Amino acid sequence: MKNHSDDHAEKAHETHIVSYKDHFSTLAALLLLTVLTVSISVFGANLRTLTVATAMLIATVKVIVVAYYFMHLKFDKKIYTWLVLIVVVLFASFLILTSIEYLNR
Amino acid sequence: MKHHSGLVLPNSGHNRDAEASKLGMWLFLFTEFLLFGGLFIVYMVYRMLNPEAFLAASFQLNVTMGSINTIVLLISSMTIAMSITAIQLGNSKKSIQLLMITVAASLVFMVIKYFEWSAKIHHGLFPGMAVFNQLPKGESLFFYLYFFMTGLHALHILIGATFIGVVIHRTKSGRLNAGNYSLTENAGLYWHLVDIIWIYLFPLFYLIH
Repeated sequence: MKNHSDDHAEKAHETHIVSYKDHFSTLAALLLLTVLTVSISVFGANLRTLTVATAMLIATVKVIVVAYYFMHLKFDKKIYTWLVLIVVVLFASFLILTSIEYLNR
Repeated sequence: MKHHSGLVLPNSGHNRDAEASKLGMWLFLFTEFLLFGGLFIVYMVYRMLNPEAFLAASFQLNVTMGSINTIVLLISSMTIAMSITAIQLGNSKKSIQLLMITVAASLVFMVIKYFEWSAKIHHGLFPGMAVFNQLPKGESLFFYLYFFMTGLHALHILIGATFIGVVIHRTKSGRLNAGNYSLTENAGLYWHLVDIIWIYLFPLFYLIH
C-alpha cells in the first residue's frame, strides 16, 4: 500500500498539467512573431541579406517556443531536451560543414 | 470507465509504459527532422549557387496565403496542446472537441494549399510543364524544391490528421482517458513537428525577398 501511494505521489510530481490560459499565451507569442517576420519581409525588402538572417532567427525562436511549451520540453524529464540538443548539434554540423565546402569552391 | 485502461497483468504492474512510448515518439521525430533537414541543406546549397534566381522565383509565391496557413497551423498546434490538458483533467468531451478543431484546421490548410498549387499549375510552373521548362535553371530548381518540400509536408499534414482521427475515435470509445493518454500526447508531438517544419518552410520559400 505504501508503495502504491509513493508511486502515485511520484506520478503527480512528474505530470505537469499546462493550463488553457498558458497555451493561449504561447499562441499569442507565436502569432506576434509571425506578424513581425512577415512585416520585416514585406516592408524591409531592400535589406535582403538582413531579412533572410532575421527571418531564420525569428523562425528559430518560434520553434524553440513550440518545443519548450507545446511539446512540454519545459515540464518533461531533461533527457528529452538533451536528446533534442544532440540532434540539433548534429544537424547544425552538417549544415555548417556543407556551407564551408560550397563557399570555398 | 476509470478501470477501462487496457490489460493489467497480475502482480506485475501495468503493461503500458507512457515514458517509453513518448521516448519512442521523439526518436521517430528525430528521423523526420533529419529527413526534412537533408532537404533544407539541398535548398541551402542551391540557393548559394543561384541567389538571384531563387529571389526572382520566390516573388511568384503568395505571401498572404502562406501567412494564413502559418496562422492556421499555429492555432491548430494550440488546440491539440489544449486537448492534452483537457484529457489530463478528465474532460474527454472537451478533448475530442479540441482535436476536431485541429483536424478542421488541417483541412483548411490543405484547401489553401490546393488553391496555391492550382494557381502555380495554371501558370504552368509545375515541373515538366511548358512555362517551367523555359525557366532559367535556378528558378526551376526553386520550384522543384517548392513542390517537393511543401508536397512532402502536406503529406505529413494528411498523416497527422489521420493520426488525430484515430485518437478521437479511441477517446470516444474510452480507451484513451485521464489515466491513459500517451497516444494523445504522441499525436500532439507529431502535429507540433509538422508545425515546426512549416515554421521553417514558410520564410524560406515565401519571405526570402
